[in-house]
Amino acid sequence: MRHMIAITSNWFTPQMLVAFAIFGTLPLWLEGVGLYSYIGLEVLIWIIFALGFNLLLGYTGLPSFGHGAFLGIGGYAMGWFQINVAPNLWLGLLFAIAITALFGAAVALFISHRRGIYFALLTLAFGQVFFFVASKWTTLTGGEDGMLNIARLPADFGFVSFSLQHNYALYYFTFAVFVVTVLVLWRLVNSPFGKVIKAIKQNEMRVGFLGYNVYFFKWAVFTISCAVTGLAGGLFAMAQEGAYVQVMSLQWSGIIVLMTLIGGGFVSFWGALIGTVVYYLARDILGTFTETWLLWYGLMFMLVVMFKPEGIAGMWQDGVAYLNRRRGAGIPPVAVEPARE
Amino acid sequence: MDFLFNLLPHLVNGIALGLLFALIALGFMLIIGVMEVINLAHGSLFALGAYMALVIVTPEGGLDAPFLEPWFGIGIIPRYIAALVIAPVIVGVFGMGLELCLRRTYGKDPLYGLLLTFGAALVIEEGIRIIWGHGEYVLPVPKGIRGGFIFADLIWSYYRFFAAAFSIVMIGALWCFIEKTPYGAIIKAGAHDNEMVRALGINLPKLRLFVFAIGTALAAIAGIIMAPIWGIRPQVGVDAVVPAFVIIVLGGIGSFWGAVIAGLMVGMIVGLTAAYYSDWSLLSMYLLLLAVVTFRARGLMGKVSVLER
Amino acid sequence: MALFEAQGLHKRFGDHVVLEEINLAFEEHKLSGIMGPNGAGKTTCFNVLTGRYKPDRGRVVFDGIDITGKSPGAIAKMGISRSFQVMNVFDEYTALDNVLLAVPEVRRRGLHILYDLTNDTQSNDKAEQILAKVGLVGKERVLASDLSYGERRALEIGIALAAEPRILFLDEPTAGLGTEATAKLADMVDRIKEGVTIVIIEHEMNFLFRISDVINVIQWGQVVAVGTPDELRANPWVQASNLGKLA
Repeated sequence: MRHMIAITSNWFTPQMLVAFAIFGTLPLWLEGVGLYSYIGLEVLIWIIFALGFNLLLGYTGLPSFGHGAFLGIGGYAMGWFQINVAPNLWLGLLFAIAITALFGAAVALFISHRRGIYFALLTLAFGQVFFFVASKWTTLTGGEDGMLNIARLPADFGFVSFSLQHNYALYYFTFAVFVVTVLVLWRLVNSPFGKVIKAIKQNEMRVGFLGYNVYFFKWAVFTISCAVTGLAGGLFAMAQEGAYVQVMSLQWSGIIVLMTLIGGGFVSFWGALIGTVVYYLARDILGTFTETWLLWYGLMFMLVVMFKPEGIAGMWQDGVAYLNRRRGAGIPPVAVEPARE
Repeated sequence: MDFLFNLLPHLVNGIALGLLFALIALGFMLIIGVMEVINLAHGSLFALGAYMALVIVTPEGGLDAPFLEPWFGIGIIPRYIAALVIAPVIVGVFGMGLELCLRRTYGKDPLYGLLLTFGAALVIEEGIRIIWGHGEYVLPVPKGIRGGFIFADLIWSYYRFFAAAFSIVMIGALWCFIEKTPYGAIIKAGAHDNEMVRALGINLPKLRLFVFAIGTALAAIAGIIMAPIWGIRPQVGVDAVVPAFVIIVLGGIGSFWGAVIAGLMVGMIVGLTAAYYSDWSLLSMYLLLLAVVTFRARGLMGKVSVLER
Repeated sequence: MALFEAQGLHKRFGDHVVLEEINLAFEEHKLSGIMGPNGAGKTTCFNVLTGRYKPDRGRVVFDGIDITGKSPGAIAKMGISRSFQVMNVFDEYTALDNVLLAVPEVRRRGLHILYDLTNDTQSNDKAEQILAKVGLVGKERVLASDLSYGERRALEIGIALAAEPRILFLDEPTAGLGTEATAKLADMVDRIKEGVTIVIIEHEMNFLFRISDVINVIQWGQVVAVGTPDELRANPWVQASNLGKLA
């Protein structure tokens, strides 16, 4: 009998291509729908951040309530490297990834044997500590004012160099990074490694009893997540042309949690992307009507947790399953694992 | 010797802080004990209590209407007392609302309950920001407990003594309630064994509502008393839930006096840090949390605590 | 020497001594049962044997190696596997995926990022065979959460079996099963018996007496009787103490 495990072994999926198509052509239609170039850039960067974050929350079930701190660290690392070592785009980003991953690895050493509330509060505490240190260490980070004058370095390939000054230029560079990140993360979550971390989310104890080194897997996931976050942080610093401490606060660390869950990070790879887009839509559309939009967003989050923790992606999957059932009404219903899109 | 002597006022501050932390922790613990829910919104409700008191005590809290002027004209003591009574009740109602929301998450992965209270904390904090803004408010207190005095060449604060005394009274009252009244006995039983309580015919949903109401009201009271010490800001919530957590990890869930003693310890550490590095006193709490959770294995009992599921 | 031995185990929780002095020996390729009333210390004993708890005194020896106090993960890698009384399956995975996770080849590749599990026919075949052995043919693609109670029970055991252990511990496998399901379980245990040493803790006397080669009786934290089912039936103490109310 032909085995049909639901791990998608494809490198590309339809959803992925749709996402690439939409975001690849964004500069062409963004202003047509009444938005502006910078928001496209910021959304895409936060999508990268959210994808990295969802490795922890949606896939491994580890709630990190201090992840904004790592985004900040990535930004500061990028800025510091630029100013103090060399204004090189590639090395700067690599440095941001490395430093953030290092911090993540260090934090993960302390927390990887925990889960649930202990884990959450530890990440919260680390986040607050980093936030505090960043606010006070004015000589390194510029304190409350931030690290200013971070440049959008040119993408220099040796034989040709592209200026990333313009929002759309930086946007396309970010898009390239986005594509690579998606491909890498998609491979990761569909590999044996991905299978194990998904199992850890369902039943950590049993996974340990099967002989897996659960501590190591959790440590690795956290570090990888921080590496991706550092990358996003470096890009964000370039987009803002500065690295600011606010993003390390609890509020922003909280927002990424809300974004990812509402989007459906628990059941879908793309949940993080959907959630980020929804957040920005809420901010920019609801925001024109009322200053209290964040309150409504928070309430929406609570409703989602209460009634549909699978989020928007979950509702989409339900819809697809419903249509499939109606279409194939003659086939006896057998519950199959929803292919994790 | 002199140096130690100079520390005395700070010790008193530390004790006052510690007793207040213990009060927050006890409310937090009641909820964990009976419902096995970690209420991350506990801190925001602590903050809300302070804001509610602000509204009652001074027109700056927002009740600026002319027809309310007579209320703000009467002496501050009745207003303050009214605040101490009414604000916790209002917050208790919010607490009950939160419990109703949490009902959908019972029986599921505890991660959802955690996320829900996290969301509630953010919502409450954002609500506070919207109504009262980002700035810091000052809660007026009766003259008798305001200000400082000099004794033995040291500067002491009346308010800290008041705070400590009030907390002792509240903690004592809570203890009497739990140990001596039938309601308290039910709560203890419920904390011990949900099934048994249900079998005894006690209305579990009502018990849960009640416990949430009391637990959050305690947080509100602590918030009101803490207001002159920490100031009234929207972010003060997070700073309140962390010591509560540290205290129950140190003192063990289910140990009333363990919480009080742990509270005093935490309060002393924070208070003494404030003496030297006032900026760092809040940070010391987070570092303490990291230290305590890293080095202290599981709760006290050796069995898997609810915190680890 | 027996494949797996417990020597002088003593375990207390606070003031409460649960295991007084436990001595056990499980012979290779035999099916050993552990029985005793509730509160006798069976479950604690089990947890100590499988690495979940550390004993206060005593040793646990596997194949001549002292494994006392080793973590469950380390013990699992040595070839000791267990099932759980409270079901511990992966609800969001299919039956096949549940079992696949336990297969040693898959476990060894746990850190692989590029390896493609769908092409690993060897592991998939093994997983399918396990499912067949425990009676779950045709349910490979069914989500664990959609299986019936009895099927989940079978899956639970299947996961432990897929790890290709040298010794398999089953914790009250008949819990929650009706008479018919219990009989099916007994058949299943007969099927999986070959090549694996099995230790079963049980409450359900008929089941245990039917399938065991040897039975240890635990009472008050001690082993009070050891023998084949026939020997135990004849044991006056067992008869008198109501432990064996056999049909």
